[in-house]
Amino acid sequence: MSAPALDLPAAGSRAVPFSQRLRNPIWLLAPAVIFLSFIYLVPLIDLIRISFNGSTPWIHFERVFSLPLYWDSLVRTMGISVTVAILCCIFGYPTALMIHRTRGWVQVFVATTIILPYFIAILIRTYSWMVLLGRNGPINKLAVALGIFDEPMQLLFNRGAVLLGMTAVLLPIMVLSIYSSVARLDSGLTRAAAASGAGPIATFWRVLLPLTLPGAGAGFLLVFVMGLGFFITPTLLGGPGDQMFAMHITQQANFVTSEGFLQALGVVLLVITLVVVGVAGRFLGFEFLWGGGKLAEAHESKSRSGASAPHRRTAGMVVADTLGWPILRALSKLPGSVGRVTVSAMTIFVIATLIVPIVAVAIISFSHASYMTFPPPSYSLRWYEEFFTDSAWIEAFLNSLSIAVISAVMAVALGASAAMGIVRSKIVGKTLIMLLIVSPVIVPPVVLGLSLYGLYLRTGLDGTIGGLAAAHAIGGLPIVVVIVSASLQSVSRDLERAAAVHGASPMTVFRMVTLPAIAPGLAAATFFAFLHSFDELVLTLFLTGPRLQTLPLRLWADVNYQLNPVLAVVSTLEVLLVIGGIILARPVLARPQRAQ
Amino acid sequence: MEDSARAPQGWADASAPARPAASSPANQTIGSSVDVRSVTKYYGHFRAADDISLSVSPGEFITLLGPSGSGKTTLLNLVAGFQKIDAGEILVDGKPIHHVPTHKRGFGMVFQGYALFPNMTVTQNVAFPLRMAGVDRQTAERRVAETLEIMRMSDHAHKAPSQMSGGQQQRVAIARAIVMRPKVVLMDEPLSALDRRLRESIQIEIRDLHQTLGSTILFVTHDQGEALTMSDRIAVLNAGHIVQVGTPVEIYRHPVDRFVASFVGESNLIEAEVMQKRGDMMTLRNRAGYTFSARSRNAIDVGKATVLVRPERITISNEAGKNSIPVTVTSALFLGEILRIEAEMEGGEKLLIRCSDSAHRGLPAIGGTLHASWGADDCWMLS
Repeated sequence: MSAPALDLPAAGSRAVPFSQRLRNPIWLLAPAVIFLSFIYLVPLIDLIRISFNGSTPWIHFERVFSLPLYWDSLVRTMGISVTVAILCCIFGYPTALMIHRTRGWVQVFVATTIILPYFIAILIRTYSWMVLLGRNGPINKLAVALGIFDEPMQLLFNRGAVLLGMTAVLLPIMVLSIYSSVARLDSGLTRAAAASGAGPIATFWRVLLPLTLPGAGAGFLLVFVMGLGFFITPTLLGGPGDQMFAMHITQQANFVTSEGFLQALGVVLLVITLVVVGVAGRFLGFEFLWGGGKLAEAHESKSRSGASAPHRRTAGMVVADTLGWPILRALSKLPGSVGRVTVSAMTIFVIATLIVPIVAVAIISFSHASYMTFPPPSYSLRWYEEFFTDSAWIEAFLNSLSIAVISAVMAVALGASAAMGIVRSKIVGKTLIMLLIVSPVIVPPVVLGLSLYGLYLRTGLDGTIGGLAAAHAIGGLPIVVVIVSASLQSVSRDLERAAAVHGASPMTVFRMVTLPAIAPGLAAATFFAFLHSFDELVLTLFLTGPRLQTLPLRLWADVNYQLNPVLAVVSTLEVLLVIGGIILARPVLARPQRAQ
Repeated sequence: MEDSARAPQGWADASAPARPAASSPANQTIGSSVDVRSVTKYYGHFRAADDISLSVSPGEFITLLGPSGSGKTTLLNLVAGFQKIDAGEILVDGKPIHHVPTHKRGFGMVFQGYALFPNMTVTQNVAFPLRMAGVDRQTAERRVAETLEIMRMSDHAHKAPSQMSGGQQQRVAIARAIVMRPKVVLMDEPLSALDRRLRESIQIEIRDLHQTLGSTILFVTHDQGEALTMSDRIAVLNAGHIVQVGTPVEIYRHPVDRFVASFVGESNLIEAEVMQKRGDMMTLRNRAGYTFSARSRNAIDVGKATVLVRPERITISNEAGKNSIPVTVTSALFLGEILRIEAEMEGGEKLLIRCSDSAHRGLPAIGGTLHASWGADDCWMLS
């Protein structure tokens, strides 16, 4: 009945033993950092090097900026991205508020309709807009039936379609970003404002909006930056006048002669993206990229100086005071329900734009007609049969499946270890390392594909399942790191200490306490990394050979070649995969809430 | 429900640390001594623990008391091994342990938020230390059952932590900490998440448990009342230093400085000037010019002094008497067994008075004049 004997080493040895230094969690970062260095950083640096390969270093850049074709396209790309970001803000805000305010099944419904499309491939969501807006699509049919149009109109291949498609694709990012800052708000704040005599509009203007502005700002930037590199949606929905910058890169990639110039195009897009992110990061903090709070840096306790800094009146506050109050007083004369009705109406509109295309595609997949038309003249499983009996489709599906599985395993192994390192080590510059790991999210996929192209050709990785899986893992890694570090941060330190103090060695603590606590996060991360690879198209376009077809590649070829209902079948199956994954994950994801 | 039904088993008397142990000797552990020697811990440039030395005798119940940020939790974490010390050493039974990893130190610990493993049942939680120590299954089962019995949690053995109330969870956490009969048990504000009545009943339970087990207990709290009722000795910490170590009686009656005087219990700190000193007897004059006498073993010869008079030592009367000081009542509260009166002396100095309502006089009128006095022995000089 005595305590376990103390294992006592000699006292007074100040130096940290080597074995203990090896156990430092900082080493857990090594695999991910090495992986990213070889397959991500070095190719990007190589891309920059090649772009300066010419008779004079700047010759390719001079060409990019002197040709009106590229200059115009650059301006157009910026314009479209800003417009899309603004549209996402306008429609995303009420939707995020709605998710926050509703309860029960309404909340679940609204949240699901926003989140579900987020996991469906951009290609498929764009395709569903082609179906919806097509000459024989439901919108044209409805408008003709109602007498708005005399005959079906060409709704596709114009700027409006591009803006609509991109906004719909990027809206979930905005909503999630705003929602994360709305959800963090103390619910007592709105009540306190109301108790102090503020109407709903004043509460929104003076309390909700200022406090959620960082979330909206982060969403705006993410949408803008992602919009800059957009390729799939403008290609499919735009006309000749809607060429975006990334499209030029893929077009030029078909001409081998443009070595150097092609890379210069990529570098221009990359630099613009990085400058935007860099400037934004200076003001917002780079945390906006991973949507989390600041990382606990080593020696945080001394950085309390911010709290004591004098409260400065920003220009925004002055504007809000001088302009805001008169407007608020005027608005407060409106009945209180106006705001509520506006929010609900906009949310319903948002849900419709996100869900209707998916539903329309699902209906069309059961069509018996041999061409795309809505509503289908008759229903059958004909196109499902076509898909499952076509060996090319099945082979592409199996290829995608194996690539995605391997890629998810790679991303989770590297990412989970890196997340441990990020959360648990005490090093200066955590933000910098996190930035490196998360940065593949913002690098335009076209640029990434271009930079990897050379590496893959040289090493013979192009067109191999392993090579594609590794390339997809570049984008899967940030997803895993963000999710797993979030769940690690929520593991109570005392829980691990309780295990340690009662005799559990570090490995046992991890196995018995940490791992069960982060298991739901790990499961979710695995699923998302899998989906990321399964849906990946742009990198694959650059890196595949003629021998290796993936599902998105076949879809892409068919969307450009002929719009047949088999595509609707594939889309519907993918939607079912995502829904199935979420349903399977639900008991796992719901567990931590019950435990608390 | 079940918690409130259980009445306290006896009145704790802080001045009488030795109480009969009600246990069978088989369960009795001989606690370890814990020596903290010149321990320093930095967070960046902030000294969380600054050259702290503290000797804990075997089997002692010592409380680390201090406001938040005083370094009490840091000190406990250093003893537990959650953080590495930057200078100094920590010895258990005379052997240095500050290089021993936490899991080999063989302590038991109770955490503020219970820290029960959510994926294990009560039994599995309590069995955890036994499992880690490689105790065989049969012995482990018996020990878990025994310990749950002591904590009166046997009925909940197969529940998950999330199915229990805070008080029950904390009892399981205590069971887990003592199941190995460790020589040292660390407790990090274990009662702060509980409501007042539950807290008081578990305070007494922990006290009794300490008598039964004989382990050395290091108990961290910011609640001075808790420290006074539970401890053999209290170490008061402030800003990374230990300010005073002593029995509850010593700390309360003879605080070394203003900080301890005002942090532990309610206090009147009266500014006065020493007029005369004869042996340990002094005559002092307060700012308004009234004189009173004080007897204190730390009497000083001459000059300005701060005199501590506890509110409950002050008596009030309607008539002026020898050594009495007239005060104006500014607030009076009826607290049941006592009256709490705030008053002002001439010159604006505040005086807090707690007196029993034995005469059933009721509350004095606000703005009325009373005459406050205290005995020479009720004074304590602060430097």
